Amino acid sequence: MKKLNRRSFLKGGLAGGAAIAAVGASKQAVAGTHNFGGYPDSMGVLVDLTKCVGCRTCEAACNKEQDLPEPDKAFDDPSVFEERREGGLPRRTTEKAYTVVQKYDVPGREHPLFRKVQCNHCNEPACLTSCFVNAYKKTPEGAVIYDKTVCVGCRTCMVACPFYIPAYSYSSAINPVVKKCIMCYDTRLKFGRPPACVEACPQEVMTFGKRKDLLKLAHQRISDKPDAYVDHVYGENEVGGTAWMYLSDVPFDKIGYDTHLGTQPIISYVKEFLGMVPMVLTIWPALFTGFHLLSNRKDALKNDDNKS
Amino acid sequence: MGGRKKTLLGMAALMLLTAPLAAQSWAAEGPGTVELGSLANHYSAVTFDHAMHTGVAASCAECHHHTTGLAPIDPNCARCHKAGDKANRVACKSCHSDKRFSAEDLAKIEGNPLLHHKGKLGLKGAYHQKCLGCHTAMGGPTGCQDCHTRNDKGDAFFHSGKYTPAPKASAEHGGGH
Amino acid sequence: MNSLKSQGFAPVVSDLKKDGSEWTVKEKIMLGLSPKEYWAVQLRNPFNWVLWAIYAIGLPILVGRFIFGLGWVTHSSYDYPWGLFLGWGLFTMVPLSASGFMMGTTVELFGRKDFKSIERLGLLNGLLGYTFAVMFLQVDLGQPWRLIYPMFVSLGPAAVLFLVAWHVATYLTCQVAELVPAFSEWMGFPKAKKFIKSIVLGLTIAGIILSTLHQGALGALFTYAPGKVHPLWYSSPFQWLHFFVSAVFAGLSMLIVVSTLTKWFMRWRCDENYLNNLSKLTLGLAKGASMALITYLVIKIIGIAHDNNWAYLLTGWGAWFMFEMVVGVILPLIFYTMAVRNSNASLARFAAILAVFGIALNRLNTALIAFNWQLYREIPHWRELVIVFTVYATYIVVYRAVLARMPILYTWKEKK
Repeated sequence: MKKLNRRSFLKGGLAGGAAIAAVGASKQAVAGTHNFGGYPDSMGVLVDLTKCVGCRTCEAACNKEQDLPEPDKAFDDPSVFEERREGGLPRRTTEKAYTVVQKYDVPGREHPLFRKVQCNHCNEPACLTSCFVNAYKKTPEGAVIYDKTVCVGCRTCMVACPFYIPAYSYSSAINPVVKKCIMCYDTRLKFGRPPACVEACPQEVMTFGKRKDLLKLAHQRISDKPDAYVDHVYGENEVGGTAWMYLSDVPFDKIGYDTHLGTQPIISYVKEFLGMVPMVLTIWPALFTGFHLLSNRKDALKNDDNKS
Repeated sequence: MGGRKKTLLGMAALMLLTAPLAAQSWAAEGPGTVELGSLANHYSAVTFDHAMHTGVAASCAECHHHTTGLAPIDPNCARCHKAGDKANRVACKSCHSDKRFSAEDLAKIEGNPLLHHKGKLGLKGAYHQKCLGCHTAMGGPTGCQDCHTRNDKGDAFFHSGKYTPAPKASAEHGGGH
Repeated sequence: MNSLKSQGFAPVVSDLKKDGSEWTVKEKIMLGLSPKEYWAVQLRNPFNWVLWAIYAIGLPILVGRFIFGLGWVTHSSYDYPWGLFLGWGLFTMVPLSASGFMMGTTVELFGRKDFKSIERLGLLNGLLGYTFAVMFLQVDLGQPWRLIYPMFVSLGPAAVLFLVAWHVATYLTCQVAELVPAFSEWMGFPKAKKFIKSIVLGLTIAGIILSTLHQGALGALFTYAPGKVHPLWYSSPFQWLHFFVSAVFAGLSMLIVVSTLTKWFMRWRCDENYLNNLSKLTLGLAKGASMALITYLVIKIIGIAHDNNWAYLLTGWGAWFMFEMVVGVILPLIFYTMAVRNSNASLARFAAILAVFGIALNRLNTALIAFNWQLYREIPHWRELVIVFTVYATYIVVYRAVLARMPILYTWKEKK
């Protein structure tokens, strides 16, 4: 250190700083992005839970369309509704099932309420924004798809998803990847056709259309029959809005929906940190160089004395 | 099943009350049975006993909305079709599309800004919501195969019947929680 | 080895033997013992027996993880995608390894040459901690062979993990470079050491920046899960600061713990300079750690106040949180302060153990225990635990092997 004069010091400091700045530069853009409201003409699905009878035809259709492995039980076997995973929770999406129907016995309701669970295809998906290999993509059609050929398997998307949707093929040793509903993008949505589950549903529980039209329809249904629905379209604003939205006659928090998610997309909770990154990259080198110069002032003075 | 019995009794009473009226005035206008098979895929076609149902329903409008010329039941329909607007064709499939979410149908809906019935059900949805809705309320049969038997293709689709998966012995099934 | 030294064994401290001839590399690796003596020493050490037992069970399971997949060693949880491999291996080991940049900063940047004798231990603790954090990550990743994808194949620069990946990789390089002098002395390549010396300040500043960002980024990773992490362990604006500031005392405390272990179990390898200064330096580190602890305590309280989470303190989770704060933060803070005031290094060492425990508890709470607090608690699969022990044992083995050889705990005697 003694031999280090200011010039060589600056050289070293700049080289280090430049290397890091190069690494961090791409992040600067992120800090400035504001909320993305979704593609204007993206498609969506309105799910009217009051209409679902729990026949699980959607599950069977999904299994066939997505070429998923044979289920553990037949798709007309109602015993799956009583299955409980850890914590007494109902079935959830898995690597073998991109959609599942859950049954809720609601006190005071004559019949059980059935709830279809699958990826909600967020406008600003948490999975997408958390992925460090950019595997996810929100298509203009509205689907959240992913490229399994680049998935490293860090599973941050599963941590980030507020709806607990992405599953992972843990059973594979060679090629484990994330598994989730892609709204039948490859086989249907891309060609303007509705997802297989929507088409298969006998009850037309699900309405497929442009998201903005579905929103109007949803509010129309509520105002037409105010007694038949709670006045809330789940997914209209949750975590920045989702392509899949829900109508129910039972308050959503009673049937397993998280009603505390807020209206901000998940990325907005991360932005404070992301915004700080370029600041650290810029300020730290100067700040600590200054500290160094100050704390070594005596050495420097001594050197100057020696020279003169 | 007490509730179900009660509704059945109520239905019988309703039938007794309306039977003489029905025989005279409007039941005769409808067909005897209808073969509902345009959507048959995993299930056989439904042979719908129209005559029997006209005997059960209080009014044609229960199923046909305003198209038979009777006052609609739903107050939301009555806002426009108060007196009933008779239509030339009253079959379900005349109004309810059998390709509800096809690009053409969606374009048709979007291309008509004055269209009120934007959320009109497709044919399959109309059938099932009407039939199952009423059957549930009245205590009629509600199982899928109570109305239409599933064919072999349907069994394969549902992984049921002879396609039922063998019960898994091991408890470890690809991540339970 | 300690007993061997008391019998007159002199470990390698320079290129030359007592008789003036040069040590060969093989002899250096054998610690200057004959192969027979070397293996006899290894066999006699009861700690090695424990290691062999861990490997006997752990190695087959570790191999099995790569043959049968993650599903065989974990519960394959979709709700808890991250288990002990990351909860312990990444989120705990990385803050405990913050000593590298702390010591670099202290000695090279602030010119505190009095910490020189412990600087290399701090750097090594950092390098090995990060290396094994990456090892743990490799065990956890579904497709570890794609580790370089975020660097070169498919880039997702807007993701926090992207930043972690790049910064950990860059920082690892930095740390390797910072330890090149120790390696070059031992191997006898003086040129390498000279080159590193010329860029050491750049490396140090790079280290500070990278450490600030990736220690913080590990915390920021959890801001993706606002509803899942219990509010007492979650703070959207401050999570990165909580993680960064706690990493400061975690790294210093870990350094105290490790130096204590070396003082006890590797005394034979420490030179006079190191041993004589250790108590004084321990108190110096304690001073730094206590500053970080009080800062951390305050910003944790600010975090609770900012989100108005006071009510949670009265719940069961609150009690658990208070336990973590009292045992892992407040008690070490008190003990560190008392130790500094009374020049009591032993008390500082005890405080360090508490602080290390506290940081581990905090990271495991955030990643596992208070994660999905509204669902259920995930109890890791026993095979997962065995693998954690196996990889951590390897960390200890490598750590010990480097300490026994390279000039970390002693000063290399340069050829004249």
